Amino acid sequence: MPAKDYDVLIIGSGASGGMAAYNLTKKGIKCLLLDAGPLVDFEKNRGLKPVYELPYRGFGKPGKLPHLFQANEFNANQWVDEKEVPYTHDPNQPFNWVRVRMIGGKSLFWARMSFRLSDYEFKAKDHDGFGENWPISYADLAPYYDQVEPIFRVAGRKEGLAQLPDGIFVEDNSPDSTATKRFAESAKTKGITVTKIRRALGNGQFASSMNLLLPDAMATGNLTIVPNAVVRDVTVDKKTGLVNGANFLDRHSRREMHVKARVVVVGASCLESTRILLNSKIANSSGVLGHYLHDQFYMSNSVVATIPEARDGKGGRGMVGGGGYIPRFRNLDKNKPEKNFLRGYALDFSTGGTPDAKYFPQWGEELQKTLDSHRGSAFSCTLMGEVLPRFENYVRINKDVVDAWGIPVLHFQAKYSDNEFQMAKDAVETIGEVCQGAGFELLNRNDRMFPPGYSIHELGTCRMGDNPKTSVLNKWNQAHDIKNLLVVDGSSFVTGGSQNPTMTILSLSMRATDHLAEEMRAGNI
Amino acid sequence: MKRRRFVQSLIAAPAVPVALVAQDSARPVPLPAAPVAPKLEAGIADDAGATITHFFTTPQLSALRKLGDIIMPPINGAPGAAEANAAEFLDFLLGQSSEDRQRLYRSGLDDLNSQAAKKFSKPFADLEVPQAEVLLAPLRAAWTYDPPADPFARFLREAKQDIRTATMNSREWVTASASVGGRRGGGVGLYWYPLD
Repeated sequence: MPAKDYDVLIIGSGASGGMAAYNLTKKGIKCLLLDAGPLVDFEKNRGLKPVYELPYRGFGKPGKLPHLFQANEFNANQWVDEKEVPYTHDPNQPFNWVRVRMIGGKSLFWARMSFRLSDYEFKAKDHDGFGENWPISYADLAPYYDQVEPIFRVAGRKEGLAQLPDGIFVEDNSPDSTATKRFAESAKTKGITVTKIRRALGNGQFASSMNLLLPDAMATGNLTIVPNAVVRDVTVDKKTGLVNGANFLDRHSRREMHVKARVVVVGASCLESTRILLNSKIANSSGVLGHYLHDQFYMSNSVVATIPEARDGKGGRGMVGGGGYIPRFRNLDKNKPEKNFLRGYALDFSTGGTPDAKYFPQWGEELQKTLDSHRGSAFSCTLMGEVLPRFENYVRINKDVVDAWGIPVLHFQAKYSDNEFQMAKDAVETIGEVCQGAGFELLNRNDRMFPPGYSIHELGTCRMGDNPKTSVLNKWNQAHDIKNLLVVDGSSFVTGGSQNPTMTILSLSMRATDHLAEEMRAGNI
Repeated sequence: MKRRRFVQSLIAAPAVPVALVAQDSARPVPLPAAPVAPKLEAGIADDAGATITHFFTTPQLSALRKLGDIIMPPINGAPGAAEANAAEFLDFLLGQSSEDRQRLYRSGLDDLNSQAAKKFSKPFADLEVPQAEVLLAPLRAAWTYDPPADPFARFLREAKQDIRTATMNSREWVTASASVGGRRGGGVGLYWYPLD
């Protein structure tokens, strides 16, 4: 069978690629979607097992996934095998690159935390002078958030905060527990707002491109999905300088193939997209491709406490349970910079549960009695802070190391700076004080971070901008150098704020492909 | 195609690429029914045999067993580290672990024995519990994100966690836990099989 020509080749099937497919196919555009991973069947690929049946009793095979702190023996096979697709970094500057290769990508497993960015991020340079503004403002993206949120059914409570714009929510009117109310009252004395966690409900708590985007795209008859297609590079027509398709290898057989398309949309996840462009040697006249790598530093259990009234079996319904979200509250007034860092951080917290045994300096029967007493009385929070995008944090191709398909891998050069360290210290101190103000007893405060990458929110490296000399993409996610090449995932971010990025990635992809469709209709692409 | 039908088609026909399902207008030739195999109940290796230990020396393994008895004794009908064969399991696990971790455990257990000999003129395994607990004093320090700088204190912290996990994830513990309502931890999880 001769190779087909497609209107648009989409690389990647997660949030960004899935949205591109959803939006373009609905407009009658014929798309081919390639993904490096298989089409999983939850019935076949997953199953309930007792932990004692696992070969390593839940410890996991030693050394299998050294960078994946999220991995355990139950889920080890859902992540990309680091030996199959390795990457390199300075031994003293690790980066925890967490990857999923399946149809649906990381959207199969995300925590569904769904927030909007604001002009505190889009116009961050105007606010504090650091870095660059995005080439778009909140007003440009708001209509797309408005469309994405109903698809994903985002639950939340409206607060009218400038730094965390409200969305089109499934209203969350559930009552707060006594512990949450007390925490919120204590926070209020410090000018800190506590709101409901904003989370995508999806369909039955499953909110993936696999169930919310790709089925509708398939229904148009305009989408072909090919799993197990590992893209090596995007190809260029030497006569026109435009991209004309991609080379890929079959994941199982390693057979090399080429596919042709009028337009290429890359949405393979932030760093895989950049890796593909770097290996293709395109779209880098600015020299910034791979640079300005940032994420959000993420510290789970940064403050752990116990709620005295909930101990010894008294923490019933209404006393503890549920949690909340603290949006950024630092450095909001541009005329009154606070603290010794730029930007800010957010936290989510939960109440209930039992504190981990490690927090109690006991053992044996004494420890068991303590755990029994503390059952259901825990407070813990996860801190997520903005990481400043810096040129010197970057990825490049390491020609000396290849993956299982012979494709050169990425080398990481990235570390956090004093700005992030100071921010973490302030957060842990402040939230500890809020806990104490609420009458909680602190068990642990930790301001030490995991290595970059742990949040699985890697951003930048292919950033947008108005100036082709300092950015890779224009404000429509089109490469400045090649008008029929778009990159629609988190790599296009200029700054990331402290909000989980998925809603913004989805909205950017929808906006970019709206514009692409119009340009194709007008004959400009 | 409605979303639900799409997902159902993935589940019902995993062997057929979804693109073909959606695009092939010709009626597919029915496949012969796959033979149905009977479902047999099977045990696990621990039901049939005992772990052959390779990694620790006899004095080290004796010290680890004793440490397990102290960290995780049988409590309120739940099995302890000894009943869960935690020390034997850790011998297997440490045999496959990094050299750093192997060194930490070996030197930590040797330290326990040498401190016991120095203070009480006995190997750690032969100490009375109050005597043994004297040597575990570093575990009284508050937990910090960074592990203790002292290798012995670090060993004790890791061993406490590992002994608890090896015990609570054993069949013995999970079975006992289920009988009292499953509130003690361990149990069942959603396992991802290796992907085709």
